[in-house]
Amino acid sequence: MIRCEDVHKRFGKLDVLRGITFDVARGEVVVIIGPSGSGKTTLLRCINHLEAVDRGRIYVDGQPVGYREVKGKFVEKSEREVARMRASIGMVFQRFNLFPHLTALGNVVDAPIHVRKLKRAEAVKAGRAMLEKVGLGDKFDAYPAQLSGGQQQRVAIARALAMEPRVMLFDEPTSALDPELVGEVLEVMKSLAREGMTMIVVSHEMGFAREVADRMVLMDEGVIVEEGPPAQFFNHPRHERTKLFLSKIL
Amino acid sequence: MSIPFPSLDYDPRVVWDYLFSPIILEGAQRTIVVALAAQALGVFMGVVSALMRMSKNPLLNVPANFYVWFFRGTPLLIQLLFWYIGVPQLFDNPELTRQLTSFRVAIFALGVNEGAYMTEIVRAGIESVEAGQMDAAKSVGMTYAMSMRRIILPQALRVVIPPTGNEFIAMLKNSSLAYAIGLMELLTASRAIYVRNLKTMELLTVASIWYLGMTTVFNVMQAELESRMAVGVRQGPPTLFGRLTEAFGAARTRFR
Repeated sequence: MIRCEDVHKRFGKLDVLRGITFDVARGEVVVIIGPSGSGKTTLLRCINHLEAVDRGRIYVDGQPVGYREVKGKFVEKSEREVARMRASIGMVFQRFNLFPHLTALGNVVDAPIHVRKLKRAEAVKAGRAMLEKVGLGDKFDAYPAQLSGGQQQRVAIARALAMEPRVMLFDEPTSALDPELVGEVLEVMKSLAREGMTMIVVSHEMGFAREVADRMVLMDEGVIVEEGPPAQFFNHPRHERTKLFLSKIL
Repeated sequence: MSIPFPSLDYDPRVVWDYLFSPIILEGAQRTIVVALAAQALGVFMGVVSALMRMSKNPLLNVPANFYVWFFRGTPLLIQLLFWYIGVPQLFDNPELTRQLTSFRVAIFALGVNEGAYMTEIVRAGIESVEAGQMDAAKSVGMTYAMSMRRIILPQALRVVIPPTGNEFIAMLKNSSLAYAIGLMELLTASRAIYVRNLKTMELLTVASIWYLGMTTVFNVMQAELESRMAVGVRQGPPTLFGRLTEAFGAARTRFR
């Protein structure tokens, strides 16, 4: 479903990704952990081409991200093609990034109407259903400023889901939330996982990871140090770096 | 009506006589129309120019930078004279010269000049919108253009309006420079009268009252617009109008 081949990315003089090779199968839930600066966020942003990779390739559903293969050579995709590809990759951000000038419903239906060209009535019907699914059926007309952090993040999830993505990327979705509000967001994410959504989650919520992750990945300084199923990863980590990191956060 | 300052050669009755005379009214109307049209042109050019300036493509950002540099760096009066006298002189085309009336040239010159200043205001507004907004817009499949139109610019608007209001007030007054290219606006009208009846101060008072009136009305409108735009966000600064209506509403409930 997602394949990263030897991905490199540098910002100025800083090598943030130094050769990431990494696969995610359809329906798999991968949780990525690691110290800050390890490149976790950058990796997510490269997958949906919010950043362009410097070396290596990323494939989503067999299609190279950002480039088209023409007779064996790679040609840069046009902005419109990249935008179209992004429409089927959902992303949820640490700071929610809701559109403040639109209501909750407005946030959820804007892209389906203007990007997928759905009729307003259809989009609103689907949007309401999506908001109800994340537990915000009574908040259609609320503006983001009137919602709590947990509610805002759930709207953000609904907004991403409204585009019917094939994969969902989560960049530390609960890191900016008050502790009491973390649970409601994780519940939504867990039910998504149970429904078989392919998910890549950067998070420090170990409880969540143990419960729904199919695979854990530790990143540090731009490389993948270790990966494996949660049971093996948490109980019998192989690398020193992993043991060190786990001892700090568990 | 008695003259309050018998030792000064100033007659308030003259002020009152000319305040609503046809020539003055026409001049005031032309001032407002020119200022509005020029400001609209300026805002449009400012948005286009700001987006061009922010582009990484040198074909776009170089002309935009030149435009801002040149039109902010030369006096408005020179720009007015350039478009009105200089351009027809260059082209030497009688039809063109006829089409370039002071009214049209004033709007164009003031608008182009204003656009250079609006560029920076719009750019500041766009940059004030969090980077995360563009990320979020792109992540749901919007192109750069759609993200700008639907997500970024509407938010930038909130930051752009107060300084633009400032600019419009300056525009109302700068329009008087167009007297140099023969536009019959408010100041020209006042001048036309006082060179005949020698009541210079009185007629300048008339013009000043009108300018003050226009800028005051505009202030009220701007405050109203700002409070409407603050949907679900911070409370704007208290306005005179807002406080009056609040006090009025409170008084009504008290004395019901």
